[in-house]
Amino acid sequence: MRHAVRRETHSARSGLSAFAAIAITVLALYGLLEMALAAVGEPAWLIDPMSAAEWIAGLPGGSSPILLGAAGVFAALVGLVFLGHGLLPGRRARHVLADPRVAIVVDDEVIAAALAKSARMAAGVTREQVVVVISARVVQVNIRPTSGIRISEGDIKAAVEGQLEAMALDPQPSVMVNLSDSGVIGV
Amino acid sequence: MNGTPRGLNRFLLSLIGLLLLLAGTGMVLVAAVPAAAHWWQDYASAQVAWLQGYEERSRLLLTSQSWIWLAAAVFFLVVVILMISWIANQGKGRASTLLDYQGNVDHDGAAGGVKLSCAVAENAIKSALLERTDLYGVSATSYDFRNEVGLKVRVFPRQGVAPNELAVDVVELVGALDELLGMEVPVLLSIGTGARSRFTKAERVR
Repeated sequence: MRHAVRRETHSARSGLSAFAAIAITVLALYGLLEMALAAVGEPAWLIDPMSAAEWIAGLPGGSSPILLGAAGVFAALVGLVFLGHGLLPGRRARHVLADPRVAIVVDDEVIAAALAKSARMAAGVTREQVVVVISARVVQVNIRPTSGIRISEGDIKAAVEGQLEAMALDPQPSVMVNLSDSGVIGV
Repeated sequence: MNGTPRGLNRFLLSLIGLLLLLAGTGMVLVAAVPAAAHWWQDYASAQVAWLQGYEERSRLLLTSQSWIWLAAAVFFLVVVILMISWIANQGKGRASTLLDYQGNVDHDGAAGGVKLSCAVAENAIKSALLERTDLYGVSATSYDFRNEVGLKVRVFPRQGVAPNELAVDVVELVGALDELLGMEVPVLLSIGTGARSRFTKAERVR
């Protein structure tokens, strides 16, 4: 199950793979068409293979260097995106809950909603005044208090940390509470 | 937990990325540095001249065209087939049979087989979870993962539901499922959100 959990918390890269496969298929189909035409001696559709090879060998030739350079930069950037997808870990916004029987993964949005609820209860404010942002190791609770009512940062932090403790997430994030300087009225 | 070939995905994506990066850098160099352009033209025209000479020498009697175009066409056909099989391998691995047990007279006194469909476990979990009001969606699917059938349960709670309390309830249900089936199926529970959880009202009272 350890492998299954790892697969759930990391991206499969299937979207970009499918895109790349389709793009290569289209290019290969065009190459197939031109090669087949050349093999039976029919006139080429766009360019025959030998002229294409000569054009590539003659670069930069007659083409504008700015256009060629721009195309090169674009190709290199697309290549960097592909290389990044191939080599970076690709963590998804999920955390693991420890359990001996069932492997459990939770989307960060669900955790954020639950923490926002307990922060809202502890601060006594409405839903619109609380924003919780979760990354792998940090939980940031942003609260905009109601004007004229003092709220305690320590109480909110204790409430959120208490619930986070009960969840026993892996990796365990730390809590940061952010009270905004200006309050709001009538939300 | 499906059978997507992740290692292959990453390898091919890295390979494509590396090739594109090299080609792009080469194009920039040829466009910007005259010395590089001279070197490329000298080097590549020699290759093309060799190719032209070989094409002249390798004409087939039947079509009076070189066989290298035929070989290249076959190469592109193979590439197309490989790419289609790469796409077809994404997200495969759904299982349909949970248990296939062949009994015999010596062992338990009766000859015959027991076959449990995956739908048994899926529907048991699904119908138990759909009764809850703090969830608005449940899906259960079975996958063949490393020669073992595993159940993946994805639940969509309303906003503000504590995932740990929900998980405790689901683990209890899985325990009941173990007793019902008489075997322990590996279960993966995924608690997630969809677009609907943002538009439905938050749960206030349970």
